[in-house]
Amino acid sequence: MQALTFGITDEQRTIQETTTRMLRPFEARRQEFERALREHGRVPEEFWTALAEAGLLGAFVPEEFGGTAMGLSALATAADAMASRGFGHPLFLLTGMDALCIARSGSASLQRRFLPRIASGALKLCFAITEANAGTNSFRMTTRAVRRGDSYVLDGEKTFITGMDQADYVLLVARSRSREEIERGGLPKTSCLSVFVVDCHTPGISLTPLPMRAIDGAAQWTVHFDGAEVPAENLVGEEHAGALAMFNTLNPERVLIAAGACGQTERLLEMSIAYASQRVVFGSRPIGAYQAVQHPLADLRIRLEAARAVTMKAAAAFDAGVDPSEAGTYANMAKYLATDLAIDAADRAIQTHGGSGFSEDVGVIGYWERTRLMRTAPISKEMILNFVGEHVLGLPRSY
Amino acid sequence: MKILATVKRVPDPETSIKVKPDGSGIVTDNVKWVINPFDEIAIEEALRIKEKVAGSEVVLVSIGGNAAPNDVKEQLRTGLAMGADGAILVVTDAALEPLVVARALAKLVETEKPDLVVMGKQAIDDDSNAAGQMLAELLGWPQATFASKVELSGDQKSATVIREVDGGLETLRFPLPGIVTADLRLNEPRYASLPGIMKARKKELKEIPIGDLEKAGLDVSGRTQLVKMEPPPKRQAGKLVESVDQLVELLHTEAKVI
Ligand SMILES: Cc1cc2nc3c(=O)[nH]c(=O)nc-3n(C[C@H](O)[C@H](O)[C@H](O)COP(=O)(O)OP(=O)(O)OC[C@H]3O[C@@H](n4cnc5c(N)ncnc54)[C@H](O)[C@@H]3O)c2cc1C
Repeated sequence: MQALTFGITDEQRTIQETTTRMLRPFEARRQEFERALREHGRVPEEFWTALAEAGLLGAFVPEEFGGTAMGLSALATAADAMASRGFGHPLFLLTGMDALCIARSGSASLQRRFLPRIASGALKLCFAITEANAGTNSFRMTTRAVRRGDSYVLDGEKTFITGMDQADYVLLVARSRSREEIERGGLPKTSCLSVFVVDCHTPGISLTPLPMRAIDGAAQWTVHFDGAEVPAENLVGEEHAGALAMFNTLNPERVLIAAGACGQTERLLEMSIAYASQRVVFGSRPIGAYQAVQHPLADLRIRLEAARAVTMKAAAAFDAGVDPSEAGTYANMAKYLATDLAIDAADRAIQTHGGSGFSEDVGVIGYWERTRLMRTAPISKEMILNFVGEHVLGLPRSY
Repeated sequence: MKILATVKRVPDPETSIKVKPDGSGIVTDNVKWVINPFDEIAIEEALRIKEKVAGSEVVLVSIGGNAAPNDVKEQLRTGLAMGADGAILVVTDAALEPLVVARALAKLVETEKPDLVVMGKQAIDDDSNAAGQMLAELLGWPQATFASKVELSGDQKSATVIREVDGGLETLRFPLPGIVTADLRLNEPRYASLPGIMKARKKELKEIPIGDLEKAGLDVSGRTQLVKMEPPPKRQAGKLVESVDQLVELLHTEAKVI
């Protein structure tokens, strides 16, 4: 059951329904779908086609380029509904946020070249910002983009990059001004990054697989750039203004993560309720009759309502174009609430299922890693608390 | 060619229904509402005809409430998002019996002048399976109920409909205008895509107070009365048997079916 959420519109309810309908054929062969996912490490291609047909890949793409520009509330609604049914595609979120970045900051020609193919499902995109020696502090990155004629030459290394082998293009954040230039010129430290849409098959790009867990359907890679050239026209936004282009994209990503976490919580609750209603071990009453089992589930349901309300508020704030720092506050809060909730929901679902909670066939245990990831990536819980402490409470910056 | 497709708001067939303790109706809290699945098939068929016959128009019609908790506009918007061109809602909060529904539809047919009315063969809430037949009678139009295939003649002056009847198929041909009611296997309805939902924002959804139709002669008096609703008896727990022999034995002695 998809419970009523505060302020949900008829249109959002239709989007929930659209998503549910789009999933129906996959639901009918869920086991086959999950087996393919385990065996090949990829989501079956028809799933991507179905996302495109439902119009879900064009939610940030303007109508003139074949999308709907319906925005974050629409996409968050779909992400929640999809996760509520236990489905997802790791490149869905990545492609969505990259599309948003191109739609908001890209030149007219860049938009014309990429957005129609994103909306139609012809392209998958991934995203690369993290570096081993920079981590949370992106301004420490060393991957260089140096202008040479009509191109930029890329040198350096990104790590933990999800789906680089499946994607057609990667949205890359690289350093276009060296540290010395910044220091010498007395320039703001944020004015060193540029964003590019890079063909994943460009000569000079190579991949090393990483033995990672937590994301179904896409592996993580270290991506090496050795003199790879990207056409200058693939620069997204102004040169050196990459931080701004990213800033515009990372908040919506947090909202989508939060929406997915709400959906996962819904799914885990549903599985827990179903199991607790039929599992009998003492006498003739199901375990769901025991308060020790029932109350934690009730607690999750209450917190889910709260997390959904903040998530939809964050999405609505973004769509309404409120000041980015205000929209960012809600986005961070939503991500904080929803991801911790999903982790607790996974924990409770395992506990409710007893030993079966660890069975691959039952499908609860996978959520343990899947939900836990979100406390760390793409933004850690600590960094959200830092943000709220500094920007909302007005306390001194802690780092 | 103008096609009317009817829409009724019903509880999602996946929702588990509870009857109110006093038997006056069902508990509607937390119920998810959808387009009656047979109406959805009717809309789909209307849209397929529209896609084949250039210049066609599909108008949805519904009779029901226009505000929470009984807001049919939600289902009409979904139908518009599927691709219908416009929608008309006759606004009333009363639960109407099939004859009154048929009379109201007949009034709309007078003003809308469609060439074809496609309806679900029945609504999954009360399973009356009557409004289509009654509408045909009131209008004096030909009808083909339980349609599993609909084909229009090249000049769109007549329709050929295959009906699923007990033990086989029946093929009917009749001149238009006429009424078709949709059976389950007529088609697989599409769902509203995001671009469809977007387009639906700009489509007209006209509301007509039922009083306006009454002024034009609609009789809303019914002939039946809901006396009581009762949930079906609880299903008995199943029994596991040890062997086929025991199963046969129990089917004979307990279930008494063999
Ligand atoms: C499965 C997976 C998939 C990923 N996919 C991608 C991808 O597709 N693209 C991409 O670019 N990146 C990706 N990442 C990288 C991810 O975004 C980073 O791991 C994350 O941003 C944290 O960076 P880090 O690992 O360097 O941690 P660090 O920055 O080293 O942080 C380590 C710990 O220190 C804490 N910490 C750091 N600074 C502070 C501070 N100032 N105050 C308080 N605490 C602090 C952090 O919160 C964290 O707990 C992925 C990671 C994983 C695990």
